[in-house]
Amino acid sequence: MHHANHFYGHAHVLARYAGLGEGHPPRINGYVQHGWNIGDGLAPGHPYADRTPSLLWSEQTRRRAWSVGRRNVVVIGAPFVYLLAMRPQDPPESEREGTIWYPFHGWEGQHVRGDHKELIARIRDTEPGPVTVCLYWHEYGMRKVRRLYENAGFRVICHGYRGHWWKDTDPHFLDKQLTELRRHKRVASNRLTSAIFYGIAAGCEPAVYGDPMVLANEDPTFGGTARVRRQWPELHGESVDLPTAVALARAELGTDHRCTPAELRELLGWANRQEGRVDH
Amino acid sequence: MTTETAPADRIELPGGEMLTWSDLPEKRLADGGPLAALAARIAPPGSRVLLAGPHDPALLDRLAHAEVTCLLRSYPDAVALADRTARVLVGGPAGLPDGELFDVVVAGAGLAAVESVEGARLGWDGVLARLAGALRPGGALLLRVDNPLGLGRLVDTTPWYARRDDAAWTISGVLDAGHPANRAQLDDRLAAAGLEPAACFAAYPDAGATVLVDAGALERRTTSGLLDAVLHGACAGRDPRESVLQDPARLAVDALYAGQAAALAPGWLALARRAPAGVTGTPEDLPVALVQTGPPGAEVVEIVDGPQGWRWRVTASADRGGSPTAPFASRELAYRDLAALDGQPVPPGRLLRTLLLDAAVRRDLDALRGLLRGYADWLAGQADADDRLADAAALAGADNLVVADGRYALLDASWRATEPIARDVVLARGLWRFAAALLTGGYAHPWPSTLDVAGLTVVLGGLAGHDLDRATVSAAVETEAAVTAAVRGLDAEGRVTLATELRAVEPTDPPAGPRSYQQLHEAWLRQREELSRLAALQKWTDELLTSRERALRRAEATINLLSGSLSYRVGRLAVTPARLAKRGARAAKRRARDVLAPKKEQP
Repeated sequence: MHHANHFYGHAHVLARYAGLGEGHPPRINGYVQHGWNIGDGLAPGHPYADRTPSLLWSEQTRRRAWSVGRRNVVVIGAPFVYLLAMRPQDPPESEREGTIWYPFHGWEGQHVRGDHKELIARIRDTEPGPVTVCLYWHEYGMRKVRRLYENAGFRVICHGYRGHWWKDTDPHFLDKQLTELRRHKRVASNRLTSAIFYGIAAGCEPAVYGDPMVLANEDPTFGGTARVRRQWPELHGESVDLPTAVALARAELGTDHRCTPAELRELLGWANRQEGRVDH
Repeated sequence: MTTETAPADRIELPGGEMLTWSDLPEKRLADGGPLAALAARIAPPGSRVLLAGPHDPALLDRLAHAEVTCLLRSYPDAVALADRTARVLVGGPAGLPDGELFDVVVAGAGLAAVESVEGARLGWDGVLARLAGALRPGGALLLRVDNPLGLGRLVDTTPWYARRDDAAWTISGVLDAGHPANRAQLDDRLAAAGLEPAACFAAYPDAGATVLVDAGALERRTTSGLLDAVLHGACAGRDPRESVLQDPARLAVDALYAGQAAALAPGWLALARRAPAGVTGTPEDLPVALVQTGPPGAEVVEIVDGPQGWRWRVTASADRGGSPTAPFASRELAYRDLAALDGQPVPPGRLLRTLLLDAAVRRDLDALRGLLRGYADWLAGQADADDRLADAAALAGADNLVVADGRYALLDASWRATEPIARDVVLARGLWRFAAALLTGGYAHPWPSTLDVAGLTVVLGGLAGHDLDRATVSAAVETEAAVTAAVRGLDAEGRVTLATELRAVEPTDPPAGPRSYQQLHEAWLRQREELSRLAALQKWTDELLTSRERALRRAEATINLLSGSLSYRVGRLAVTPARLAKRGARAAKRRARDVLAPKKEQP
């Protein structure tokens, strides 16, 4: 299995949904899209075996992937959608408070260019209630960055480590994220990212504002941040139209494409497994 | 011209007979097929009928109520038919006695088959004029004309101009201006011969038509589920030993949707009347379609138009059995009860199979989900208290259900199950049939190539909102074999062979049926794609293995390094006594347990 399938415990969530329990998930016959993506659904820079199925979140991504030469592209919806199906109960509105704010992170190999202080001031000016800042693990590990947000009076958290080469994946990453999202009224970020869509699906009002902190070496192939703002203007701003946002999140996460457990087992190659169970 | 009476006193030899030639078709349809049913409907009791050219002998039986004269070029055929008919004239068209008039003339094999190799050729117009001249005023001509640009020609592996069979002593093709090449030209020729075109039926799938459909209906009702199913059924039943360029059933349904199913019909059966018309029946009496598909010996059923829309009509001959063949005694899973069909309305709507194929090639999962849920819900609505389906609903699949405004209805309810079938097996069978047709047919679809037919069946079940397991799919395949065996009239051995074949169907196989070059090529491409995919996967896996082996070596080197370090040795010295003590304690505990445990009895 491609190690990216394990990011954020995606394979674990899918295995639980498919009825395979909590153990180590079996090998997936394909690549699961591991984040909201304006390209072909696969992370650029990762080596992939040609023609191996891409298991994508949305119909739009499928069309885009096909148009750039990908084949065997299949829409199954985001793993987060499967998690929501397993934990369908939203908490009462009274238990939600404040905003969960995701400063855009990039992944380990990327370096964010931008000013955290400016962003903090903007968050303070905008958010009406208490703010929880969720940092990506490597920023969370950078005491300097963490302090900046803590000193601003924000609660600073991290959902866990997404994992790398099958190591240290937190199988409950998405679970923790869902729990946190459900504690908040709003979800916000300086970029439209997976977390915003997850937040909308988890019942939060979304907002995208502030310096998008462009990456030093951002891949311009699919249009970058500028294209995201052009294509999804409805989701940008300190306050956005909620029904529109809900409909867009539904489409982007492929909520309606969620498979049944037996269907998922077939599509992931888990119905006729050759390998034995690997529990660790 | 001298007329010699042959030994059989009904045979007349006016000259031009072919003594060693036979035209009688090798493949014959039960009761003469739709042509015979139509001819029987056109010829009133006691009328004088001329059968010009070779016809299935069963047609003579269907015309027992009329006085039939046969005009044949083959002497052996005349001998074979002499005892079934009033009179046989053996020779070319010139052998027709002058001045003799008929109420109905049937040229069901076309005009070329009326001409003999002997004597002067009259040509298409000449033969038509001769036959038209033999009709009394108001009399009807039923004439078959082959379409030079028909579907049969389009899928034929042999070009029309290269025929080498014995009947090809002259080849009349589209370049022959003396031969009508489309329906408009045909009408003009009929008019020139003093005949008024009254109706035209498109004949599918070939000359020995198992299906006749009113050409106007084909042009008007382009999305009709019934016409879709009828044309597909007619063209899909070809001999698997045949070769074709492409799937004729696909082409026929595409032609229907494009409004060209009449224009591309393999042939036409035209009905024309000699002026003044209207003496022997009117076109209103004629059915919209005559259909004979199914097992050998299947009856012709008709579709007739009426104020309430189309209805099924079962002809007297088809209903001759009175009751269905004892299904319970035969132990077959399916049987046909035509009485249940007679008079029933034909539900309007589009065929579910076509809707599903369309959604699949557009890769529209939402549409597929909606259609499949509708199908599953319809089945649920038909189920009994034990969640089983009986009768026709138990066999309902995508090729026999029509959808109109979201409502599902069974098209042809004459095929019934002898015993109720579990609902999930019925659903799985319907989905498996569609999955097999979709994959082996080479259709584009929104799923990965890694799915086998059973896997896609489960995925389709998921879209329909039902989690099917592979055991249910296996049961559905067995049911499919049993039902198909009953529909095709296979014996026990045939059924076992069929079941084995169905279980072995792979997505990279060409579809069942005749060898189609296009589909064989597509199957080859699918196999090549799979090999490319697997080769890429193998390469990737090899590279990953190499990288993992390297990581393992690094880890081992680290372990070795650490095991040689001072801190490791000190730690080991400290831990060893504790480990030994723990091991000793475990052994003591085991011994104590063995002593205290009650002794097991020796077996």
